[in-house]
Amino acid sequence: MPPTADFTLITASRVIDAKSDAPIDDGAILTQGSKIVSVGRAEDVSAPEGASVDVHHYPAATALPGMVDCHTHHNGFGDGRMGDDLALLSDELLTIQSARNARASLYSGVTTIRENGPKNVTMFRLRDSIDAGLTVGPRMHLCGRPVAIIGGHMGYFGGEVTGANQTRALTRQLIKEGADYIKITATGGSTQTSFPLRPSFEIEELRAVTEEARKFGKLTATHCLSSEGIANSLEANVDMIIHCAFRDADGANNFREDIAERIGEQGAYVNPTLHVGRSSAWTLARKRDDHGLTPQERERLDDTLRGMEVRMDDTRRMIDMGLRVITGSDSSWGNYKLGNTVYETELLVHAGYSNMQGIMSVTSWAASALDMDDRVGSLEPDKEADILIVNGNPAREISDLWNVADVFFAGRKLERGSDASLSAVRQTPAQL
Amino acid sequence: MPQEAQFTILRAARLIDGDGSPVAEQAAILLEGDTIRQVGTRETVHAPEGASAAEFDYPSGTILPGLVDCHVHLIGIGDGRAGDELVTLPDEVLTVQAAENVRRHLYSGVTTVRDCGAKNRTTFLLRDAVEMGIVPSPRLILAGRPVAIIGGHLSYFGIQATGTTECRAAVRQLIKEGADFIKITATGGSTRTSHPLRPSFDVDELTAICDEAHKFGKHAAAHCASSQGMVNALDAGIDTIIHGVHKEADGSDVYRPEIAERIAERGVCVNPTLGGAVTRIRMLESMESDLSHAERADLDTMRRASEVRMDHFARMRDAGVVMAAGSDSAWGNYRMGDFQTEIEAHVMAGMSNMDAIASATRDAARSCWIEDRVGSLRPGMKADALVVEGDPTEDIAALRRVSDVFLDGIRVDRDARV
Repeated sequence: MPPTADFTLITASRVIDAKSDAPIDDGAILTQGSKIVSVGRAEDVSAPEGASVDVHHYPAATALPGMVDCHTHHNGFGDGRMGDDLALLSDELLTIQSARNARASLYSGVTTIRENGPKNVTMFRLRDSIDAGLTVGPRMHLCGRPVAIIGGHMGYFGGEVTGANQTRALTRQLIKEGADYIKITATGGSTQTSFPLRPSFEIEELRAVTEEARKFGKLTATHCLSSEGIANSLEANVDMIIHCAFRDADGANNFREDIAERIGEQGAYVNPTLHVGRSSAWTLARKRDDHGLTPQERERLDDTLRGMEVRMDDTRRMIDMGLRVITGSDSSWGNYKLGNTVYETELLVHAGYSNMQGIMSVTSWAASALDMDDRVGSLEPDKEADILIVNGNPAREISDLWNVADVFFAGRKLERGSDASLSAVRQTPAQL
Repeated sequence: MPQEAQFTILRAARLIDGDGSPVAEQAAILLEGDTIRQVGTRETVHAPEGASAAEFDYPSGTILPGLVDCHVHLIGIGDGRAGDELVTLPDEVLTVQAAENVRRHLYSGVTTVRDCGAKNRTTFLLRDAVEMGIVPSPRLILAGRPVAIIGGHLSYFGIQATGTTECRAAVRQLIKEGADFIKITATGGSTRTSHPLRPSFDVDELTAICDEAHKFGKHAAAHCASSQGMVNALDAGIDTIIHGVHKEADGSDVYRPEIAERIAERGVCVNPTLGGAVTRIRMLESMESDLSHAERADLDTMRRASEVRMDHFARMRDAGVVMAAGSDSAWGNYRMGDFQTEIEAHVMAGMSNMDAIASATRDAARSCWIEDRVGSLRPGMKADALVVEGDPTEDIAALRRVSDVFLDGIRVDRDARV
């Protein structure tokens, strides 16, 4: 139901605007239509004399910007199936699944997403459906399909190209279809025909994409599971490095300070995707406890755990170096389901962020990484009224981000449905 | 994997079995897994010795069979847009809309729908999603695309066939893709290039379609917006006549008793689709003071047409025709999740509340050829039930006061939005 009053006034024990260093105690937010009018201490925030106001009091809660998840796969199921198998499903079915994921994510407090790799035009079609009012979902920052080499990671989603001409042409095609940024797979990945330790595109092919994207004011991001992919991406001036795994071509873990420094110099964002590995480890650990593991699974669990440790260490170093590390969940990929973005933010806090920095990484910094900070990511006048209310105080205890009391999206309080249906979406930890 | 049987007992002030029996007082029903085991009273219905059961009590409620809507268009939006425009939306968008519509219909008490025409493969792909468990939905009886002549009604959904060979091929193709029945447009309709007052296919083409469907144990249903279409469809061996409009080629409303007699004799079901007009009339009436000149004229036309349709409905019933309730939503302005309006329209056209309920349960199931599984509450039938507050035999609007919906013995979480 659209609000019938002219204004909506939200008061909470504290407001985290994701701009100031500290929460505003006894804070309030005034919204009108889909926009924020003012934010501050409750005593200083009020609607104009005589205006009708819809008031929401949250006496033991924190109000903060709706979360921004910089890395999603809405086509996915998060049930462990391979991308190779996912891509076999019909576009229509994948669009339905995406609609379901979008709701799960929105109701968990994520009000803006950047999508990192759907099949064909499925996410454009989902956005069409949302724009037509047929279903609901967060604001969407879309890439269309990822740009991949023949046989490269996510090539099965429909974007295989060769040569600078074709990468440029695909960039134009995606922008024509409605892409907000361009996603490139600069190394292989889990795709069966790809090589995660090797770079995929030549630098000139990458550069054709970044130049073309920049021409239309669009950002770029590259999937990089090994160091040479990162180096190539930086050479081509990519705006965000995804995964950012420092590995040599022989598979050796080797944190490359020189490359990390260059990331800092160029101001590229880093999206480390720490939890997607842990979610697979949880799944294996659960199987271990319930049924036991095969020797291969045992080895996979050990590998995953070792990999997680290395990635945590590398992320800690990048945070210490002051790199722009943001939250991007990578759900629903592997065993990680949409609606659980907070796990990624929690791991960034474990890797060295303060709670407040963790919150920034999933709000204002994430919005900056998407070049959407003029509209979302912080609670300021004239920004979109995307507001998350959580019980407790995530500035003190980051896991309070899970305790969603309400979500306001474009100024409207969402009907999120039954508790049972919401908790069915939530994934639970396993003993590792 | 052997699984312990799951028993569920529902108890309520009354129960309507959908078979036409009188209302049972202080009734109860035992479900085992997805099947009804016992229907009786609070005293007589118990879980087997030693077994536990989930129990639900509705002290002032009524248990009925889950409703069967024998005519829906799942890809429709119900915002008044013409089919010619709906079809310009991409298949992915239409499938997302279909997923929203099945959820809405299920939550409103409908546990089986028959889709009478969708674009391309959209409803089949929706069914894939339902079977994967990612979309809550009533049971689906699907036609896929209707079989139409070139330029005929709903031909924009993807099949235009000419001649018996193409008609037969169309049926085979649909059955290969998963069609549960065949929908034919035997006259034109709202489709701009079609002629609602004229028949579309010749009888030999219709016969080829019906024969081919029957060969594979499937039924055929024909859209008929004028009398000659009904005559042709009956000649061809049709199983359900949709709309069943008695209209001459010049547009005059002439009730043809001999057609009704043939329908009754042959045991063909008629799905009269009265609710769309009632919805539109109620909508226009609610904005009475703000109506434009054109809308006021539309309201007058709708009222007159609806009166004629209801009069013909009553006469067909008197002639012994089985009237199966099917909403035709989300066509025109009729959104899904409101099958109740169609049932109310049956009452407005002269049915008793009990008969109208039977038309939306047993008789709708019969027209879908699934009356052996759903549409009535009897041991051995699928455990699909609707519980409403109050007594719909006293007040048909009670059907709107849904307390719970059970599908395959499982209580539907009607508040789930994910």
